[in-house]
Amino acid sequence: MALLSIRNLHASIGDKEILRGVNLDIEAGEVHSIMGPNGNGKSTLAGVIAGNEKYTVTDGEVIYKGRDILAMPVDQRANEGIFLGFQYPVEIPGVSITNFMRTAVNEQRKYRGLDPLTGSQFLKLMEEKKKVVEMTANLANRSVNEGFSGGEKKKNEIFQMAMLDPTLAILDETDSGLDIDALRIVATGVNHLRRSDNAIIVITHYQRLLDYIVPDFVHVLYEGRIVKSGPKELALKLEKEGYEWLKEL
Amino acid sequence: MAQGIINQYRQAAHDLRKNEVWRNVDFAPQLTDDMVLPTAADDAQLQFWCNIQGLEAHRIAFVNGAFKSDEQSEQSGVVCCTVGEARRSYPELLGKVLAEVGTDGNPYADINGSNATDGLFLYVPDGMTVHQPVQLLSIANSDKSLLLHLRHVVALGRGSSLKLIQCDDSYTQQGAFSNNVLLASLTEGSRLEHYKMQNLNDATALLNQTFVSMQRDASLCSVGITLNGGNIRNHNVVRMTHEGCSTEMHGLYLIDRQQRCDNYVFVDHLAPNCKSHELYKGILDDSAHGVFNGHVLVRDGATKTEAYQANRNILLTDKAFVQSKPFLEIYNDDVKCSHGSTIGQLDNQALFYLMQRGISPRNARTLLLYAFCDEVLRYITVDQLRDKLGDMVKKRLHGELSACLDCALSCSNTCGCTPPEFKIDLSSTK
Repeated sequence: MALLSIRNLHASIGDKEILRGVNLDIEAGEVHSIMGPNGNGKSTLAGVIAGNEKYTVTDGEVIYKGRDILAMPVDQRANEGIFLGFQYPVEIPGVSITNFMRTAVNEQRKYRGLDPLTGSQFLKLMEEKKKVVEMTANLANRSVNEGFSGGEKKKNEIFQMAMLDPTLAILDETDSGLDIDALRIVATGVNHLRRSDNAIIVITHYQRLLDYIVPDFVHVLYEGRIVKSGPKELALKLEKEGYEWLKEL
Repeated sequence: MAQGIINQYRQAAHDLRKNEVWRNVDFAPQLTDDMVLPTAADDAQLQFWCNIQGLEAHRIAFVNGAFKSDEQSEQSGVVCCTVGEARRSYPELLGKVLAEVGTDGNPYADINGSNATDGLFLYVPDGMTVHQPVQLLSIANSDKSLLLHLRHVVALGRGSSLKLIQCDDSYTQQGAFSNNVLLASLTEGSRLEHYKMQNLNDATALLNQTFVSMQRDASLCSVGITLNGGNIRNHNVVRMTHEGCSTEMHGLYLIDRQQRCDNYVFVDHLAPNCKSHELYKGILDDSAHGVFNGHVLVRDGATKTEAYQANRNILLTDKAFVQSKPFLEIYNDDVKCSHGSTIGQLDNQALFYLMQRGISPRNARTLLLYAFCDEVLRYITVDQLRDKLGDMVKKRLHGELSACLDCALSCSNTCGCTPPEFKIDLSSTK
């Protein structure tokens, strides 16, 4: 059984239908890349899987670990192992990353029937995971995303992914706004977290990221549907020829 | 006697009902006919001290309007006594200060003037820094509804500095009306940090009036935290009479149920090269009613003025209500000024971000509300006080602002209620 199985998914914002029948199957151990022009539903798909109430699902189903999760609250989906790396991470002044993550990690542990981490256990875990994205000590003492550069925000997203160790991670344009060094660090971090028992969906505009995070499958989301799926070479063709040729499909 | 004063208050409210500065002020619900002035029989021991863990402070208390302190000594020229004592022992000094700073002549200040039982007189000589903060506690502890009038005088000599923590608390659930005036004279190069901590029961009204007069290069930082109280008006008037002054005037109000909190700030820029910065933030729950009325006056000749005013509010219910009026009045071209006001709800995208990490909706809301408050708390430079107020804000926010429903002293260890369970550690970044 697939880890994630999306069937005929339709979703809208207000009266505007964005997703018009998405079908997608993802097995544990796979990395899928979703590409496609702006405004065709990539972020909407990510938001619907994570449970953002901004979107209304009008039809279809999202089966995760054998359960339809569309009625499940956002925090419960997160506790079930779904992680969304935000395209625009939110700034939370006055709340340190340490406390934010400690709250999140311990709530997830509680959900899974585990004891909360003690202060020292938590700090040890944090030190370990900071290395995944070459995060400096300084960064973890700051308020969540406040005054962060674009690169720092995206590193912080991957750091959180490392801390929470999700089963399904959706990275929404994690490469946007990154310089080449930050891109390498972020991609290396993601690869480090890649295992046979989890899956990653990488939403991106650029083939460049996929040089570092090599996907098993590439899908093109166009006008609310996946119009083309293929091996990683599909990304190269898109990079070279653009999306124009897809309109004829 | 009390009835006469109550009538004066009612008359004042009537006379000022169309006055832009006072029209939102209505103490009628708390000013009941059974109110009495404190007498010798109301002399109560200080049973509660608003403790700030780890903070060494000079403590001065007024219980039911009566002075309680053993800090009445002079320390290397610092004078710390009652105004009554100052009148006897330091008449010239007191007279000189009162010639420099006065009220704005509002009727409530006049009623205070003619009825004030006493007050604190603090004088810091030239060039002296008082290292330990002075903590001034006013508390009502009576089975009667008391009418309290205190008038404090603070005088800072040239280049001196002082940290003053002014706490207003209730000990019982009995209502009270407290009309306090604080007159502060900041001479050349002096600095006053003035923190106000207000935690009163729902039956109590507080009119806290502060009048500050500032001379060349003086600086003022005032942070007022309103945690609870039936009806609170903070009336702040700052006059920067000479060049180079700087005023930071900030406030945070967390109110719920039927509570009212009204912050008035008048900053008068009379001289060039002065700065003022105001940030008032409020969270309003249930049917709470908040008012922000800020007035910055930049006079002709006050060139190179910098003045910023901001008021931000979060309304948690449809019935919570806030009136926000930032106002700049400028008679000068060469200034940098801005003002702004927002009234809204918690940001849904920020909530989604937190919940996507597995944080429950309730904790996510608390985290965001605390983050909202932190911006004001950051202006507190006394670490122990900031930590204490941070904790109190967390307790207040926990349970959507109603954690200590039956307790006026959510800060106190002596209160009988169970402390709210606070699972998450929300320490702010330093």
